[in-house]
Amino acid sequence: MKGPALPALKHATVNEALAAAARTPRGLVFVDTSERETHLPWAQVYGRARRFAAGLRRLGVAPGERVALVLPTSPGFMDAFFGALLAGAVPVPLYPPVRLGRLEEYHRSTARMLEVSAAAVVLTDAKVRLLLGESVAAARPRLGCHTVEEVAREEGDLAERVSPGSLALIQFSSGSTVDPKPVGLRQGQLMAQLAALEAELPPPVDRTPVGVSWLPLYHDMGLIGCLLSAVYYPGGMVLIPPEVFLARPALWLRALSRHRGFVSPAPNFAYGLCLKRVKDADLEGVDLSGWTHALNGAEPVSVETLRLFSERFSRWGFQPGALRPVYGLSEATLAVTFPPAGRGPRALGVDARVLATERRVVDGSREVVSVGRPVPGFEVRVRDELGHVLEERRVGRVFARGPSVMAEYVGHPEATARALDAEGWLDTGDLGFEAEGELFLTGRAKDLVIIRGANHAPQEFEECLEAVEGLRTGCAVALGFTPEGENDEALLLLAEHAPGAEVEGLEERIREAVLAGTGVKAHTVRVVEPGTLPRTSSGKLRRSEALRRYLAEELTAPKKVGTVGLVVEMAKSALAFARSGRDG
Amino acid sequence: MVENELAVLREIRRIVSQELEWEGEVEPTHHLLKDLQLDSMGLTVLAVELENHFRIRLSAEDSVGVNTVGDLMRLVATRAAGEPRAAAGGAP
Repeated sequence: MKGPALPALKHATVNEALAAAARTPRGLVFVDTSERETHLPWAQVYGRARRFAAGLRRLGVAPGERVALVLPTSPGFMDAFFGALLAGAVPVPLYPPVRLGRLEEYHRSTARMLEVSAAAVVLTDAKVRLLLGESVAAARPRLGCHTVEEVAREEGDLAERVSPGSLALIQFSSGSTVDPKPVGLRQGQLMAQLAALEAELPPPVDRTPVGVSWLPLYHDMGLIGCLLSAVYYPGGMVLIPPEVFLARPALWLRALSRHRGFVSPAPNFAYGLCLKRVKDADLEGVDLSGWTHALNGAEPVSVETLRLFSERFSRWGFQPGALRPVYGLSEATLAVTFPPAGRGPRALGVDARVLATERRVVDGSREVVSVGRPVPGFEVRVRDELGHVLEERRVGRVFARGPSVMAEYVGHPEATARALDAEGWLDTGDLGFEAEGELFLTGRAKDLVIIRGANHAPQEFEECLEAVEGLRTGCAVALGFTPEGENDEALLLLAEHAPGAEVEGLEERIREAVLAGTGVKAHTVRVVEPGTLPRTSSGKLRRSEALRRYLAEELTAPKKVGTVGLVVEMAKSALAFARSGRDG
Repeated sequence: MVENELAVLREIRRIVSQELEWEGEVEPTHHLLKDLQLDSMGLTVLAVELENHFRIRLSAEDSVGVNTVGDLMRLVATRAAGEPRAAAGGAP
């Protein structure tokens, strides 16, 4: 599958695009919990960023150095993000701590991401800074930790010249303590993605193009898809902090109506959250007819959620044709495929059992939604295990190639070599099939669990189980799946109990340990007999095969083994544990 | 239990039943994770709603020592009364 040609780029770099946006009257609007709004035109964003860039230079930040940002959705984020770019440095947005969150886990993952990205300095606000001490002490960035106010205090003006080949951004494919992979993106790659997005999302001609987003700015869909897209058009962008959306989802729809936003993306769960938590009374006078691109991405898309959302919100002018299930990943900068604008979701009914057991598509009752065809400049192929391109309706691994595919995981040549081949094809790790010229996703070959649009490494959940008594050490897998009759991806845990252990109460203890350790509630916990989970010949657990067997109802206990077999099993288990410790 | 603590408890009960679909009892002795089974989204919604209602600010630092409904109730009541943070879990 091949997308149309990439249109000519309007600008060569983000820095140039921002300078051009600053010559228009458009800009950002920040919405708070009380729906008060703060306007920040691009001209001011640009002016403040130039001053900030000078501050960074004074601090000792050299071009090409990495600047970690730990900031909420705020004007301060804009100062630090665009300031770093104008200083020729590389912003690395990381997630700020959440209220009442688990600090210990937060420190571990933040310190790890600071280290992996080789950040020279950490920028934050006064409140978060008090908390960051531990993470910063562990990672020891060369220039320490500073607040945005400190850096911007003195006068100055800097706008470094950067080239399309300059590194412009590092984003993480999953924020985690285990093996976080820093995706390095160059200026030219960002611009190619923004040009592709603009072609897929033509701004309205009868009014100022305005987007609305509650997505976090440390996530590709919020940062590139919303913020940088608005710089590129240029247009307006209304930003709602993510935690405010979670508490008051109606604010999202009301902002769309108030600003007549034409585009707003969100993961599937957000559409479901609106169905559940937005009350009719919250929507008095709301008009959603201007929302022509309601993008649904970052996690598996449910046809049912889309249908219910259209039905319910059509009363407020929502157009069913506006819903567009999209596909992308941070390694491709963002988008890989988009369905045609205005068409609405297209679904195929497939037999889930045949899909799981034989990897082919026959008619059935499980609806799989199309994520469309490649965006401009992109190509997509579905390949089998040997790398051969598969015919339509055969499930295989999805590969993508295009002008915004990352050059590398920064500082991780082995991981880069696994993800990218010599011809520039990116192994997305996703499973899917092609039908009628469009891509349908069916699962994942890579080890990843997506909960509410956030990517989690399975090890995050699995390591919580090590202290649970009665489990076989290192013999549990965490998987993402969409439970029967539900619409969002959820957490599945398959764990082997220790030989002869009391199974009573074990499931409960597993649930508690995972919730306390990660803040994620497990949907299904299945305690199985020792030796049930599939392993490689060297004893490593095979997660995607475990999921395939679970879904195909093929997960069965091994035949009873004699003493010798048991000793071999125990040795394998010890080996698996040693390995998981080393890999982590 | 002083009156403003009771007001906080009422609001916590309203949030977990109306916004978070929790159908069981909510008592000060209940553990936020173990008993009410609040995940990270549940805790965020609870924190933001309490902030809105009582016009206070909570932070990640506040998670230290806050394990039960009672701990949270006392923390919010102390903040709403405009006092600096009480010792973790301590009644005002």
